[in-house]
Amino acid sequence: MTPILEAKSLTKRFHDFTLRDVSVEIPSGSIVAFFGPTGAGKTTLMKLLTHQIPASSGTVRVFGLGYDDREKEIKNRIGYVPQEPNFYQDRSVEFNARFAASFFERWDGGAFYRMLDEFRVGREKVVKRLSRGQKTLFSIALALSHQADLLILDEPTAGLDIILRRTILERLRKFVADGERTVVVSSHITDGLGDIAEYVNFLSEGRLIFQSEKDELLARWKRVHFKDGALPPDLVGRLSDVRQQPFGSSGLSRDFLAIREQLAAGIASGDVKVENARLDDILIAMHQGE
Amino acid sequence: MFIVLSPSNPDPMYRQVTDQIKNSIASGDLKPGDKLPSIRELSEGLKISAITIKRAYLDLENEGYILTRAGLGSFVAEIDRERLRSEKLGEFRTSLSGILATGAKFGIKADDLVQLIRQIQED
Repeated sequence: MTPILEAKSLTKRFHDFTLRDVSVEIPSGSIVAFFGPTGAGKTTLMKLLTHQIPASSGTVRVFGLGYDDREKEIKNRIGYVPQEPNFYQDRSVEFNARFAASFFERWDGGAFYRMLDEFRVGREKVVKRLSRGQKTLFSIALALSHQADLLILDEPTAGLDIILRRTILERLRKFVADGERTVVVSSHITDGLGDIAEYVNFLSEGRLIFQSEKDELLARWKRVHFKDGALPPDLVGRLSDVRQQPFGSSGLSRDFLAIREQLAAGIASGDVKVENARLDDILIAMHQGE
Repeated sequence: MFIVLSPSNPDPMYRQVTDQIKNSIASGDLKPGDKLPSIRELSEGLKISAITIKRAYLDLENEGYILTRAGLGSFVAEIDRERLRSEKLGEFRTSLSGILATGAKFGIKADDLVQLIRQIQED
């Protein structure tokens, strides 16, 4: 099956930052998250994937098509939510929506205004009077109202309260529910997004250091708690982020399946306890392991 | 002494702490007179608030498991091991009725379970 989005050796050089050699294949029907600290290159990558900026080298293909000859067709099928939406600040929401709609072939005004009402964004309101969260919601409503097959969102939940964040995550989940449409989303925090993403990518200092199916990642990485002396030193040596305490130590295992048998006796006696690792802990361990 | 706090455990944090300290006392891992970690040590080590640990220690003290001496810290009390044992027996009973109910679903009877336990002991 051809991936819905495919990037090969994407590189973008700026005078003070380089996004280097990023290759990804995104299967359709899933939610794919790109995590990474501020300045890792997430926004640059999202802009390259949507062809807002040209790559220094490498290729991007979306829906099996290239931007060089099929840009209009691709963009009609993508809903893009940039981190800083580019609106006419002195004009109303409605004016901006009409302007944006004029670029799309399949604009669904009914769906758009229903969503605005649900998000409580007034259509008469001048854009510069919207809060940051409201601007994001407006931008998401736009992206969801032209029957796109692929949504690409850059930090959509940054600066939103927990209720709005939940609303947006639910929207994204619904969007992919038919198994045909796809969401690509970047974020500097895993909170919430980590729960709904099926694929997890991690950017650090301009490089894609990691990509995996989330379930596979969580099956391999575990936090192992152990009573003092319950584990032989060589096993402890295989753990990272070890916290030693007189009332029980713990460490992060990146290959739990390989050490599972050696832990079995300890688990049975209660001297060893294994828990799912938190996505945050995994990403931080990878970041430090670089 | 071995304490692991789990956010997915439905019991509140202070309860997880008291349960696990009681387990350590019941198993003999902690003996009467042993000094417990200070509230500050536990709170830093487990990354939960000192208030939560304070509450756990207070509960343990009220139930007679530990003694706190001002300026010296908290110590495991001389306890009636028979009482602890019967408390553990009660917990076992609850776990066993769960196992029995699961067995019943698959047509595994109490007699089969007794046999299974014997087999496991022989292994």
